[in-house]
Amino acid sequence: MTMLEDRVAIVVGGASGLGDAIARRFAKEGATVVVADIDEPGAKVVADAIVADGGNGIAVPCDVTKSADVNAMVEEAASIGPRIGVLVCSAAVESLVPIVDLSDEDWQRVLDIDLKGPFLCMKAAIPHMVKGGGGSVINMGSTLGLIVAPGHPAYCAAKGGLVNLTKQAAIEHAPDKVRINMIAPSATTTGLFMKHSAQAPDPEKLRAQIGAMNPMKRLGDPEEVCDAAVFLASDMSTYLSGSVLPLDGGMAARRIV
Amino acid sequence: MTIAAGLDWTNLLADKVALITGAASGQGRAAALLFGAQGAKVVVADFNDEGAAETVKMLEEQDSEGIVVHADVSKRGDVDVMVDTAMERYGRLDVLYNNAAVQMSGRLVDCTEEEWDLTIATNLSAIFWACRKALPHLIEGDGGSIINTASTLGLIGSEGFAAYGAAKAGLAVLTKQIAIEYGPQVRANVIAPGSIDTPRFRKVLDKTPGAEKFVEQLKKGIPVRRLGEANDVACIALFLASDMSAYVSGAVIPADGGLAVYR
Ligand SMILES: NC(=O)c1ccc[n+]([C@@H]2O[C@H](COP(=O)([O-])OP(=O)(O)OC[C@H]3O[C@@H](n4cnc5c(N)ncnc54)[C@H](O)[C@@H]3O)[C@@H](O)[C@H]2O)c1
Ligand SMILES: NC(=O)c1ccc[n+]([C@@H]2O[C@H](COP(=O)([O-])OP(=O)(O)OC[C@H]3O[C@@H](n4cnc5c(N)ncnc54)[C@H](O)[C@@H]3O)[C@@H](O)[C@H]2O)c1
Repeated sequence: MTMLEDRVAIVVGGASGLGDAIARRFAKEGATVVVADIDEPGAKVVADAIVADGGNGIAVPCDVTKSADVNAMVEEAASIGPRIGVLVCSAAVESLVPIVDLSDEDWQRVLDIDLKGPFLCMKAAIPHMVKGGGGSVINMGSTLGLIVAPGHPAYCAAKGGLVNLTKQAAIEHAPDKVRINMIAPSATTTGLFMKHSAQAPDPEKLRAQIGAMNPMKRLGDPEEVCDAAVFLASDMSTYLSGSVLPLDGGMAARRIV
Repeated sequence: MTIAAGLDWTNLLADKVALITGAASGQGRAAALLFGAQGAKVVVADFNDEGAAETVKMLEEQDSEGIVVHADVSKRGDVDVMVDTAMERYGRLDVLYNNAAVQMSGRLVDCTEEEWDLTIATNLSAIFWACRKALPHLIEGDGGSIINTASTLGLIGSEGFAAYGAAKAGLAVLTKQIAIEYGPQVRANVIAPGSIDTPRFRKVLDKTPGAEKFVEQLKKGIPVRRLGEANDVACIALFLASDMSAYVSGAVIPADGGLAVYR
């Protein structure tokens, strides 16, 4: 039995990290996957792997900060055949610069990709979901959108803003049977976290330290994020909307969220 | 605990033992049937013996396995016996789902001491007792999962639920505490239902003048514009009980059609 048959799932930021893992998993669960990313060769690698594995996937280049790109990508997804049932907004960048040193350009870049990107993608995809009788949007947040760590002002602000954008969209489109939820991962062994920690003098030591800070005493696994994404994308969660699912081994439980 | 890539959706709780309190009715019964269908052996705990026996009969009719354990969870002795009985019968415990609760309305000055004590005992202390008793067994197993049922009324203030709201809010923080203290071996999460159309909900409605109009008004305040079904909650419980949520702990998951988003 598979969970996501008869629907197109758009995974934005699907060329790398968590988006890559989710795209592959959704294909295994029967979805036709649109791997959308600014990194076109990277998206193609993922789509080709899906097809080689017997699934359905295509790569579509898309810069989430450009509404023309996003609209064209969603139109292409809508032309495939089955209804657009799922949208995952996973594209994001980080900037590890404290407030006083942060340039206007860097601030704007992070907000455009991490916050305006999901806005544009939802704006384009939700009308198709409404037409098709419903759908599920998953916005990728972060522990850093729920609790803060020093040194990530733009990223924390964008992810925090995305929490409320998710709730806002959930309320607006709940009557249309479009559910909108967030997954908020802590550090997982892929993507942004691995890239960022690779720059430390001793990456393995930093990773072990960060894992040890977690109540579960380990980093998250991308497959665990995929499990939650399948849950939110599928009919297992039909009464769940506007929620923030922390995927963090209990990390956020220490703080007021 | 296995990190699950490509789970078997037809058997998410294979070989697991799940103890569910308040499983004689409503959400507890729906979860018992869903967990059973997904391969779990279900310990149906309740003080309503007749309803509990009916749940086990329904389990057997779908070729699942379960037993009745009589327990008034507001009594510590009963809670201890409940966990012991599960262990004697099945030799292991993987999921503890604290779902039983009483709901007594009453503004603060009208809430009697008896009502207060019974609400706190059933809705808060019972969860502490059950977790304390079950944790060593959950730790022994291959990664245990605790699910505690709070309520939207444990997240927000609401007129007329002084004791209930306090107990449910306390339970949410108790759950986070457990998540942090026992993180490596046991996960602990909260489900916070909104308005779920269960026998309990119907009982309240029957006493409400103009019930139909009240329900219509209620639905207007729920973003998805419908009441929840017991099975909506059971699906979330299945997610939390199974390895699908292997890295989810200390979370409060609303089962409310978006209701809490307004607050
Ligand atoms: N990896 C982690 O530990 C972690 C932790 C918390 C949150 N997250 C969140 O999960 C999501 C996925 O992160 P990841 O770690 O997989 O990152 P990643 O860097 O591996 O992948 C992000 C993808 O987004 C794409 N992208 C960047 N800018 C784009 C643009 N303008 N238009 C379209 N695509 C663009 C990149 O090309 C890349 O393929 C992000 O939202 C991130 O904030 C990740
Ligand atoms: N129905 C709703 O709208 C709603 C909303 C928010 C929260 N909840 C919560 O959901 C849970 C389940 O509620 P439901 O709607 O399925 O109710 P229900 O009345 O249908 O079922 C509750 C079960 O708990 C049992 N129970 C009560 N006190 C007990 C005790 N002391 N010992 C053993 N068993 C006991 C009852 O016998 C019954 O079988 C409760 O924790 C409730 O507070 C329900």
